[in-house]
Amino acid sequence: MSWLRLVFALLLMNASLLAATSAKPERTMTVPPGADVQFAAISPKGDFIAGACKDGQVRVWTLAGGELRQAFNLQDQLVSSLAFANDGTLLAVGGNRGAVKIWAIPSGTLKHDIKVGGNVNALTLSPNKSLLAVAKQEHPAQLWDLDVGRMLTELPAKFSGSLALAFSPDGQLLASADADTSIRIYEASTGAIRATVNDLLLETFAITFSADSKNLYAGGADKTISVIDASSGKVVSSFPKQSLVVGDLQRSPDGKFLVALYFDEKSFRNPAPALVWDIAGQSIQTNFSESGVTPNGSGFSKNGHVLITNSSGPQLQIWSLR
Amino acid sequence: MPLRQFTLTRREILENCLALGSVAIVSSTPATAMLGAMQERETEHRRPTPPNEIGPFYKKRSPETAMLRSPGDPGMPLAVSGQVFNTRADKLSNAVVEVWQTDHLGHYDLDGYRYRAKLPVDNSGGYKFDSVMPGHYPDRVCQHVHYLVTAPGHRPLVTQLYFSTDPVFEGDPDRNFGRDPLIHNRELVRPVMLSGDPNAIQALVRFELVLELL
Repeated sequence: MSWLRLVFALLLMNASLLAATSAKPERTMTVPPGADVQFAAISPKGDFIAGACKDGQVRVWTLAGGELRQAFNLQDQLVSSLAFANDGTLLAVGGNRGAVKIWAIPSGTLKHDIKVGGNVNALTLSPNKSLLAVAKQEHPAQLWDLDVGRMLTELPAKFSGSLALAFSPDGQLLASADADTSIRIYEASTGAIRATVNDLLLETFAITFSADSKNLYAGGADKTISVIDASSGKVVSSFPKQSLVVGDLQRSPDGKFLVALYFDEKSFRNPAPALVWDIAGQSIQTNFSESGVTPNGSGFSKNGHVLITNSSGPQLQIWSLR
Repeated sequence: MPLRQFTLTRREILENCLALGSVAIVSSTPATAMLGAMQERETEHRRPTPPNEIGPFYKKRSPETAMLRSPGDPGMPLAVSGQVFNTRADKLSNAVVEVWQTDHLGHYDLDGYRYRAKLPVDNSGGYKFDSVMPGHYPDRVCQHVHYLVTAPGHRPLVTQLYFSTDPVFEGDPDRNFGRDPLIHNRELVRPVMLSGDPNAIQALVRFELVLELL
């Protein structure tokens, strides 16, 4: 399991120690005892939610009805990363010893079975679903052509591996947040380098492109969200700095908001909020910090509401911020 | 079969190889000198330092200093030294060694450069720094110092230094090093020597760094 996913797993351990919240989540999915959901991913169109569970299963539910539709596993590997395709019809699952499997949703048909080696920190599918990028711990990221089932190229940093990946919505660019603190922006179809972001001093843990593909939002150990011009690689502005580290970023489909999950570098187990940022104003729109709730995933519903997930024992709770 | 189980010395084996034609010398240098040089190169070979995860809090552009500790800093004073080699045993005087660690309470400085440094390396590849023993923190089992070592023509080394005195090992790192799931190799747990008097005690640690050639 990647260290970032370990963060969410530790948050889960903490959550069970805290008092129950007085407010109520909008929806709750139940897993078997001991199979608590360690982290979750919501399909971009708000159709499905996938949870990586302690028992090694990835469970997929419908968001609207909460029906369990599929359960997958990587056999002898721990699930370390999850990613839906933009249209929600594929789910890519990465393991801690280099397995990557891609299933069709909701049919459950196995579409791709790939060995990349190493611990998969993150993975992402291109908008047209023909490319897969895989970030690995301590080893170069890889770009795969899924149509022919082969690796196109490696995307090496100066040292160590990569932590986060994102394709631009227009499918032209691929960004990689690397452990050497640089963010590298590639031509998606070839892996040719287009720009390198060298202005960030600390590691970036989450990246996502703007809706028009022109900017990249990056959050990490510097406790801010940087706005990067994707063509030049220059940091053009930064959101107000917070006291906690940015661990995850999701952009709303309309391009107006970012949902940021945070963690405390002093202890990953300390409670941390989720913040909804207004992108244009670079201001906090909503601070989600329910007592006893430590977010382990976020996304958006079909009607555009922000969704925050957390685990409470064998329950995966989903909160809707209107 | 390990070499030490042979009754002949390595030198005698090489001489036999020469006599029986298993090794040929194409040089004007006397055979004895060539065999001596071969033996020397073989014994100089060094195993690369095991890599270890970089972790989440590397920060680039650390200040160039060998003193990470400030006057009055709490915690056990720590002095680490070593040399940087490659696997051919060449001393790498052009290596760049970066280290970063928590303070004695287990906190990383993300806003500044406390307990982060780019270390001077001398002509024989030697480095040293003064710090405090890093603290434990809830999400890592063992005390550790992070290293990033680079040198032209060599594969960058990302690793971590651990301490045999760490309470987690209960005095037996051979048996207990696996208690930290991130310690994949016992070699990274280094002996600790205590020096000074009880009022000015200091932990001394030696950690050699061996890089692989590209």
